Amino acid sequence: MSNCDQFREMYEAYALGALDPPERAVLEAHLATGCAECAKSVAEARWLVSQLAYLAPEAATSDMLKGRLMQTVRSEAEAKSSSSVSTGATTTASGIPYWLSASIAALLLLTLYFAWDAHRLKDELRAANEQNQRNEQLVASAKGEFAATQQKLAAMEEQMAKMHRETAILTDPSSVKIMLAAQKIQAPQMVAMWHAKYGIVLTGQKVPMPSGNRVLQLWLIPKARGGKPMPSMTVRPDANGNFEVLVSNPPAAGSDTKALAITEEPAGGSAAPTTTPKWVGAMT
Amino acid sequence: MFLAAFSPKDDREASPDAALVRLLLQNDVGAFEKLYDKYSRIVYSLVLRIVQQSGPAEEVVQDVFLQLWRNSAQYDATRGPFVPWLLTLARNRALDTLRLKSERQRRLENQTDELFSVVVAPQYEKELDEKRRAERVRSLVGELNPQQKRAIELAYFQGLSHSEIAAELKEPLGTVKSWIRNGLIRLKEGLHTAS
Repeated sequence: MSNCDQFREMYEAYALGALDPPERAVLEAHLATGCAECAKSVAEARWLVSQLAYLAPEAATSDMLKGRLMQTVRSEAEAKSSSSVSTGATTTASGIPYWLSASIAALLLLTLYFAWDAHRLKDELRAANEQNQRNEQLVASAKGEFAATQQKLAAMEEQMAKMHRETAILTDPSSVKIMLAAQKIQAPQMVAMWHAKYGIVLTGQKVPMPSGNRVLQLWLIPKARGGKPMPSMTVRPDANGNFEVLVSNPPAAGSDTKALAITEEPAGGSAAPTTTPKWVGAMT
Repeated sequence: MFLAAFSPKDDREASPDAALVRLLLQNDVGAFEKLYDKYSRIVYSLVLRIVQQSGPAEEVVQDVFLQLWRNSAQYDATRGPFVPWLLTLARNRALDTLRLKSERQRRLENQTDELFSVVVAPQYEKELDEKRRAERVRSLVGELNPQQKRAIELAYFQGLSHSEIAAELKEPLGTVKSWIRNGLIRLKEGLHTAS
């Protein structure tokens, strides 16, 4: 594949002005290298695109337009003509040799040309700077999108890891199943699965919603005599009263725990239970 | 300049249009009137199609022909045929009038640089009168599927980019790019065959 192959599909769209800025910048950068093949193709594409003008429905200009235009053109032609005659008379009267006035005229023309060329170069420089700024904005935007995508990817990976862990806890035969029965309230049992390595998955269905913005909190009741309940995760069920929480790092080992309990606590949870347990399940 | 390698210097320099443009340098009002009579209709038709209103369209046409009169030296016959140059100038002026978005405005401002870019007619291109040329182009573009034709028209007459056309037509970007390119290639092949 030659270096120009990648640009072949752009010629017509470039001549049409339809290329989006990044593609346009790429092609123009290539044209700026002096590629005669691509420059010729673009020039031919310009001719092709110009033919699209004939798709416009035919319409005739008004006679007034031609009248206005011709009046302007005639008066400008007359002004130029009289200016030229006037200049000629002065020159003759001044007695400056023809070769000298021709040299002065040439110098003036050269000066004008250089001034025009400097102006043109300045315009080109300004256009290049603007293009550069646009490219920088595009790069900055692309970096922002890349960072956002990385964040999304990290969140997805985290979610995947959590799902794997939950699946392992729920399916591994070594997990211990704990049924938490409701205490003095009419509510279904909750189920906890405790895996020695991966942690606890606690699920509830049709659980009564805690009042206000209060939450349900899981407690680990130690076997040791006089041991205090150890606080763990808090959760609020969804609108249907369902929830599932993963406790990746339980505050105590299963072998040191006598039972699991659930209390209703203020938002954010408590360090020690402030209400009596609503669900309790003994380790088997 | 490297472009000179393929810039036609033969018959186009000697074409009747190029000769009339050269006469403008000598303030020849008659030459200007001939060029106006010959091309004002196609220029006005194009501009009116873009700006959609006769008043602004006439202003644009006036600007275009006054630029031709005042700056005829800007047209260099060695860099391409006259009519495409004039139509490109008219299209860009009309789109300048139409444009509303700042981004599009910048893009079109860049395009004005193309006014003095090379336009090369293919080898098969023959001098045709405007009427036959219009019939040929309309017939060939009329054979394209309606969506393809619409995409090309949005680009040419409204100055929309690929992305803007995709959004307007609610079609994938790649589809729009293919429509435009394939449509123009078919037009090119059709013009070649018809010649």
